[in-house]
Amino acid sequence: MIQFILKRLLLAVPTLVAVLTVVFVLVRVVPGDPTIVILGDQASEAARADLRARLGLDRPILVQYLAFMGEVATGDIGRSLTTNRPVLEDVAHVLPYTIELTLAALVIGVGIGVPLGVVAARRRDGLADWLARIVSLAGVSFPAFVSGILLLIVFAVELRWFPVISTPRTGSLLDRLGALVLPALNLGLLMVAYVTRVTRSGMLKALSEDYVRTARAKGMPGRIVVWRHALRNVLVPVVTVVGLYLGVLIGNAVLTEIVFNRPGLGKLIVTALTQRDYSLLQGLMVVSAFAIVIANVLTDITYGFVDPRVSAS
Amino acid sequence: MSAALASAPSAWRRATRSPGLVVGLAVVVAVVALALAAPWIAPYDPNEQDVLSPLAPPSAAHWFGTDFFGRDVLSRVIWGARISLSVGFLATAAGVVAGTVIGIVAGYCGGWTDRLITAATDVLLSFPQLIMGLLLVAVLGPSIGNLILAIAVTAVPAFIRIARGSTLAMRQRDFVDACRALGFSDLRIMFGHLLPNIMDEVVVLASLWLATAIRTESTLAFIGLGVPPPTATWGGIVREGFDNLLDAPWLSIFPSLAILAVMIGLNLIGDGLRDATDPRGAP
Amino acid sequence: MRRLFFAGALIAAACPAAAKTLTIGMAAADVSQLDPFRATTTQDKPVVSWIFNGLVRFKPGSTSLETLEPDLAESWTRSEDGRTWTFRLRKGVKFHGDYGEMTADDVVFSLRRAADPKSSSFATDYAAFETVEAPDPYTVRITLRQPVPSLLGLVANYHGGNVLSRRAVEALGADFRLKPVGTGPFAFTEYRPNESVRLTANPGYFRGAPKLDGILYRLIPADAARDLAFTSGELDVVYGRQDQRWAERFAREADVSVDIVRPAELALLHLNAAHKPLDDRRVRLAIASAISQDQIVQFKGKSVTEPAVSIIPKGYLGTDDKAPLPPYDPARAKALLAEAGFPNGLTITAIQTSLPTMLTAMQIVQGQLKKAGIDLKLDVVDHQTFHAQIRKDMSDVVYYAAARFPVADTYLTQFFDSASTVGKPGAVTNFSHCSGADAEITAARTEANPETQKALWKEAQRKVIEQVCAVPLSEGLQVWAHRRSVDFGYDFKGAIHLGPVITEATDKK
Repeated sequence: MIQFILKRLLLAVPTLVAVLTVVFVLVRVVPGDPTIVILGDQASEAARADLRARLGLDRPILVQYLAFMGEVATGDIGRSLTTNRPVLEDVAHVLPYTIELTLAALVIGVGIGVPLGVVAARRRDGLADWLARIVSLAGVSFPAFVSGILLLIVFAVELRWFPVISTPRTGSLLDRLGALVLPALNLGLLMVAYVTRVTRSGMLKALSEDYVRTARAKGMPGRIVVWRHALRNVLVPVVTVVGLYLGVLIGNAVLTEIVFNRPGLGKLIVTALTQRDYSLLQGLMVVSAFAIVIANVLTDITYGFVDPRVSAS
Repeated sequence: MSAALASAPSAWRRATRSPGLVVGLAVVVAVVALALAAPWIAPYDPNEQDVLSPLAPPSAAHWFGTDFFGRDVLSRVIWGARISLSVGFLATAAGVVAGTVIGIVAGYCGGWTDRLITAATDVLLSFPQLIMGLLLVAVLGPSIGNLILAIAVTAVPAFIRIARGSTLAMRQRDFVDACRALGFSDLRIMFGHLLPNIMDEVVVLASLWLATAIRTESTLAFIGLGVPPPTATWGGIVREGFDNLLDAPWLSIFPSLAILAVMIGLNLIGDGLRDATDPRGAP
Repeated sequence: MRRLFFAGALIAAACPAAAKTLTIGMAAADVSQLDPFRATTTQDKPVVSWIFNGLVRFKPGSTSLETLEPDLAESWTRSEDGRTWTFRLRKGVKFHGDYGEMTADDVVFSLRRAADPKSSSFATDYAAFETVEAPDPYTVRITLRQPVPSLLGLVANYHGGNVLSRRAVEALGADFRLKPVGTGPFAFTEYRPNESVRLTANPGYFRGAPKLDGILYRLIPADAARDLAFTSGELDVVYGRQDQRWAERFAREADVSVDIVRPAELALLHLNAAHKPLDDRRVRLAIASAISQDQIVQFKGKSVTEPAVSIIPKGYLGTDDKAPLPPYDPARAKALLAEAGFPNGLTITAIQTSLPTMLTAMQIVQGQLKKAGIDLKLDVVDHQTFHAQIRKDMSDVVYYAAARFPVADTYLTQFFDSASTVGKPGAVTNFSHCSGADAEITAARTEANPETQKALWKEAQRKVIEQVCAVPLSEGLQVWAHRRSVDFGYDFKGAIHLGPVITEATDKK
């Protein structure tokens, strides 16, 4: 197992290099540079050219690339071009928010999605099935910024259960939880639809498999058949969807982070992109890519646990 | 031996018996028909501004109300269906076809092919999907064609993964060995026998990804990289309505409901198809 | 469970009240520069105004140069020829933190830094400065190349006039931009990326200790979310929207005051004469005749927008209130187009930023031009792409809204002087390739007689309008709202810093 993890992490190195290269090239192909953000819109062309030279942005792109890769190799992901803060400091600030939001959303997505899917499959074509399917779709149909505002209007403004600005003010656990519920719900709803569908579909398939039929025929109670045997078969696609969804969640968290006014990796990436803060953007992409690599490794390890047919090696 | 091919007629019978599939088809066909008939049925010019009646609530004259520019929201939703459905369908189709084919090849062939494809997929998957779309549109510029391309690219790795995973699981089943023993060609095994067997998972995911595609369009519009105005798209209308959500909630709600209706329709179709193509038949 | 969260919300709401922190919500994802000489955005400028002082200051709540009053300088004298100004500094003013007393050395350092393009975005404003010296620790002498009638504006608490701590700038280096040190009523304490800026009261402030304990400046880019946070009481002061409905909705709330204040941002549509067919004056005039300022104002609302009077904003020193703008006349627009060889209309493309307020205005223009047979294509790109591409001369027409130092020269120089034309090394924001008023703009810059100077500026405006370099679309006012429990301590009628000035007298009940 440890060997497998190490191997996967080692394999991730070329992936990270490739990601960095793609980001490096893409952000330099996008028109614009950070000089307007740093100097303001009244700066003259000459002043901007001067700043570009000082930031080293006038060097040939290959030289910039090699210099940047050299720094990354030594573990230094640099400083923000616009704020001059160490990129790692900004990452360290937002990462806990992103991790807690992502995990909470996953818990909500799986916690609501799997039971809904099982119920839908067992009551196939019944009222419960229809309701479960339609409810789960609402989360994926409403753009996250609309559903977010609706949640805020109901639970933060009308009922006043939670704050509108979902950034914890104090470090207390209660405060953190209170600021987490609505954003996590908003982000988790997005996943409910996927998990429900995959669960329902897998469940229907499993219920028709021979061994389940056999178990039923032998007189095993329906509930045990479903939860102990059939559900096992559903886990592979659910794990796949969850693994895939980590990347989607980090990206889509942007909207949730904007509407609920939470700091986060996604929001900072968008800010860095809109400000053309190349070094910050590159640093953040390394971190988010690394997070996703870890998530992929975890997904693969989980496969091994839930389905012996897919061996981890 | 695969039952999917042999049971085609009965699959059709099952499909038409399933109320979900019929309802789903009806909804989607209705929306597509509305989109196609937009020039004849839309009550107003979707881009005609009216300075005298901005943000009017729903009324007999404007069933869905008007937007900030006094434009008729119903007409914009009808016209917007054209762009949104095209973007959604084309982007998803491109992503699904490319992703599924590559995924099956990777899963079936294994070895270096698999390693190479997996590595490339890992690189693509290491970008948060939305960020990837954002970067691509920022580089290419926001036109409808570029949006389709960007959204399709974000869909590809997901389908590679799901197809590869399912193929891997399927490969070890007896029927693949049986096919090999019968001397079937790799292509025939992959697309004649493996594909139908993993199709249900792909279809389920594809019908949902369509929602994601349409939603991604609205998300890109939210961040400012949607289809340029004044062209109406569902995502664009939702986004424009967002600014006035507290004064005029109908602006965002109606196009969101349109998206929801299409999603329900598509998913009912997806489920119906799943049941119909299920090689093991209904429980 | 519910009760638990309810309690959490209560605690969260109770904490800031105890500390008497003023919470302000701003429409931006982040601040970028808190170095006063680099702060040019709507989100950066108000913060700078709470931290820094100038030799003189705009009276809180005013945007007029006539209200300038002593700040760090107690008194000043002007020589006969108007070329030498001597300022006597207030004694015993301390910088925030351990940066010691503010002396003439800091003022000289700051003004020289403001005039250096390497460290200041406003260097060109100080082109007339010959020398800045400190004869003694409490005296500053400025010698000018030629008299500058609005000199006091250049040493006010605005842009390059802010006084920085020399020791802090030298000690902090590049970090100064997000760790600013000044002499103002509030001292910078913390910056959280994408989240907030926190300031604490400066108990040693020379006008007295502030009544507030601090300021929490929240960055909330989504309009609806910011509005909700204000409604729920989580914000005391909020940046509003340039939309009459927004103002009316909040004005209806019992304990809310809506503040619609100057300066106005003038939105201009620059017509790029280097792009065909806009090189034809008739085509440009057709566009100008097809645009109705009144309709734009009607869309956005009369209380938050006003029609512009010239191609520079109303109320600036030198603005011609009766500039000869071409009237709205769609029939004439069509006739002009036919005359220019486009009887069936034509298509022009605008590279347009995706920022919603600017996009909204441009869509109204798009609708108006369509009626005259002009198809305006909007090539919507993200904001930095917009800035890059319009500066590469890529757009046929450019929508640009801006407020500048309230003297005609700044606007004329940056937008209509041919030296500022995009593509040139001195390029600023002359997108139209306007060149017809160079002589007047240059002459006015060094003209000693205020009356002659005004006449030159008036003539410059007439020529720019005659050449149809730009079409005014409307002037947008600054819209804010505050809870009645907040007492700014002055009449909030103007926001030269684009946001309310928070002084030692500002209080919250």
